[in-house]
Amino acid sequence: MREALRRALPSVLAIVASLAACFVAVGLTRGFGTAVDAFAAMLWGAFGDWPRFFDDGGSGAVLRPLGEAGTKAALLTFTGLSVAVAFRVGLFNIGAQGQLMVGAVVAAVVGAQVELPGVLHVAVCLGTAAAAGALYALGPALLKRHRGVHEVISTIMLNWVAVSLVENWLVVGPLRASASGDNSISGTAQVHPSAELPRLLGDTSRLNLGFVLALVAAAVTWWFLARLKRGYEWRAVGLNPEAARAAGIDVGRSVVHAMCLAGAFAGLAGAVLVLGTELKYPATLGAPYGFDGIAMALIGGGHPLGVLGSALFFGGLRAGGTRMQLFGVHKSFPELIQGLALLLVAARYVWDRLLARLAKKEAARA
Amino acid sequence: MIELAHISKRFGAVAALDDVSLRIEPGERLALIGENGAGKSSLMNVLYGLYHPDAGEVRFDGRPVKVRTPAEALARGVGMVHQHFTLVPTLTVAENVVLGAEPSRGGLLDLDAAVAQVQASCRRFGFSVDARARVDSLTVGSQQKVEIVKALHRGVKTLILDEPTAVLTPQEADELFSVTRALSESGLAVVLISHKLKEVLAFATRLAVMRRGRKVAEVAPKDTTAEALAALMVGEGNASDSPLPGPLPAGRGEVVLRAERLAADKLHDVSFSLHAGEVLGIAGVDGNGQRELAEVLTGLRAFTGTLELFGRRCAALSPGEARGLGVAHVPEDRLRRAVVADMTVEENVALGRHGAPPFAKGPLIDFAGRRARTAQLLDAHDVRPRDGTLRVGALSGGNQQKLVVARELDAQPKVLVVVQPTRGLDIAAVAAVRARIHDERARGCAVLLVSLDLDEVLALSDRVLVFFEGRVTAELDRAAFDERLIGRRMLGVADA
Repeated sequence: MREALRRALPSVLAIVASLAACFVAVGLTRGFGTAVDAFAAMLWGAFGDWPRFFDDGGSGAVLRPLGEAGTKAALLTFTGLSVAVAFRVGLFNIGAQGQLMVGAVVAAVVGAQVELPGVLHVAVCLGTAAAAGALYALGPALLKRHRGVHEVISTIMLNWVAVSLVENWLVVGPLRASASGDNSISGTAQVHPSAELPRLLGDTSRLNLGFVLALVAAAVTWWFLARLKRGYEWRAVGLNPEAARAAGIDVGRSVVHAMCLAGAFAGLAGAVLVLGTELKYPATLGAPYGFDGIAMALIGGGHPLGVLGSALFFGGLRAGGTRMQLFGVHKSFPELIQGLALLLVAARYVWDRLLARLAKKEAARA
Repeated sequence: MIELAHISKRFGAVAALDDVSLRIEPGERLALIGENGAGKSSLMNVLYGLYHPDAGEVRFDGRPVKVRTPAEALARGVGMVHQHFTLVPTLTVAENVVLGAEPSRGGLLDLDAAVAQVQASCRRFGFSVDARARVDSLTVGSQQKVEIVKALHRGVKTLILDEPTAVLTPQEADELFSVTRALSESGLAVVLISHKLKEVLAFATRLAVMRRGRKVAEVAPKDTTAEALAALMVGEGNASDSPLPGPLPAGRGEVVLRAERLAADKLHDVSFSLHAGEVLGIAGVDGNGQRELAEVLTGLRAFTGTLELFGRRCAALSPGEARGLGVAHVPEDRLRRAVVADMTVEENVALGRHGAPPFAKGPLIDFAGRRARTAQLLDAHDVRPRDGTLRVGALSGGNQQKLVVARELDAQPKVLVVVQPTRGLDIAAVAAVRARIHDERARGCAVLLVSLDLDEVLALSDRVLVFFEGRVTAELDRAAFDERLIGRRMLGVADA
């Protein structure tokens, strides 16, 4: 436990430091009164407006922000896991965005074009989306295994292929919904109600089953990596592929499997986005959750539960960030905070030095 | 003159250095000897600015100086050549040597000037190295020369060599010592960190013995013997300089491994057979195909030719299959091949055997079984500290090696391939590892021993194959061992 806290400390410090930096930036440009108001609004918007809840007892004041935070966190968790799982075998999956798009469009098609009874429909949509994401990651994995092609290059390029294929062609071409009445429709056809992910809080919030799935996915991934033989093999491959090979572990197979799991997670993120909130593949996907996954994985230290933690936190900030606009502060501040935190985590060396010095001082005092 | 006065340095609870004082005079050859973890390297790392002492001070010509970085040490004329070289493999010798103080012309690197400077340095210091050669094309011995030239080129007056002969052939070691002896006679102070008693007795003008972070003795070579030094290093009266197991009993079993016209990369057309209950030694100068042979037999390298294991012909062999058939491997480079430094001792004990009890229960890791087996192995092989939850990277090199040996032997192998098993180990660890090899042989295991230490090969083997340029140039039974003949065959020299 202590060890886990010690490992999480640099990430926590990075987040605190970037929050402080942004606070100062807002304070200097808009005045510190506004900064306090804006940050309070963000906080209430992220983790529930507790003061108002205690004032008038309306549970919506708490549930609505929390629901929105959970909805965003679910997506960040899936893409974060996607990147983190690949990290574990020593690969950098920059292709989560592309895999997410492919998963999303498959979920939209299966959700809208196939008719199945309730539970089954959701399961089939999720399954096909995960399979599509995995298949989309399989190419780079095989190229890596057999030809030594660097996965960073191949997955980045496949991101662009996904943009062209899905958003520039399928969604505006063959899969475009036919206009009904005089509504001009963008994106694909609406999915059937049977394919929608059930909402957890009724009409109060968009929070849906995807959030539960994300929690389960993070827990299962942790369990797999920490408790299973195969997870142990993956970790050994990531930490020292040559020693893993000499120990008889099939390094190539581990790489391919891990990459496919990474793709499946990203594909699931796409499915959760489509089946949970958008209910179709929209004209454009909006936030680049696939790339945010890189930030979640790094800030989460590559650990599934760390990923979950940072996804919950930044999901909250994203949800609350929109409320900063009420005070004239741009809503992209949460992303700025995330970017700064990522930068600081990447500069881990700084933290390690600082922590070492603090530990020394403490030891000297003791 | 350099003085290290009352230096202490702790790492956590461990005192690496405990009130150590040492003087280094110009022109002397000081040997710093002691077991692994005795504090030799730590002490020199303090002088070289890599470690900062908790107490005590470093004095240059009587003046206390804080050496904070290697750059400051270099500026004060102290250079250090580590066991692991710090050269850029894709640059040339000249580029490496001038790195950090490059001659330039109009803001551009003046390569011709660099080559000229380096050639001049090499000539002046008596080294024969091609300044235009790329470092990765050089042998280990030549790379070490480049490291030394690099230090001397900076005008170093005190040169620290950290176990320089660990990677060298006997000839290269001799050459190293004759060159450095000449340098010291012209005023350079040389500090040699070593635990090879023979070489320090021949080379040094003064000896300082360290044990468990303390300096326990300082003697002149003429006033001592290898036995006395060994006793000081180990702290007991019973250690000997050559802790080799006694003579080998004759008696070998059936053929377990047969190789015919085996070839792979540097290995050409090698045929031999290996019997149960024998130690087959491979002698040769570094880089003559021994490494490739070990890799082929353990499934790490593709090959052509015929390989039969236990009567079964293997057209190809994967590391997993080799293990499955009962081939264990103690590789040369343990940090690269044998252990995952960032995993715990327990996790490393399971490595390669993690799929079966006591390390696994079905698809799950069996944590209790793994912990129990690890504790048992750490005890049986005296791996210190006895803590299975430590990162392997935190263990000393000797204890890492003991851990690897413990793990590989725990699998009860039928064939054991060991490469350089005692390289860099202290006397006690060397004796332990050699005794284990001997035990395995007695158990009926077939052992293939690759070592660059000819004494070791001769002491442990029933039979020796001499390798030169990837071919077998001699095969001798124990009764016919002839060091001089083997030496000639190692160098590819025909009989006169």
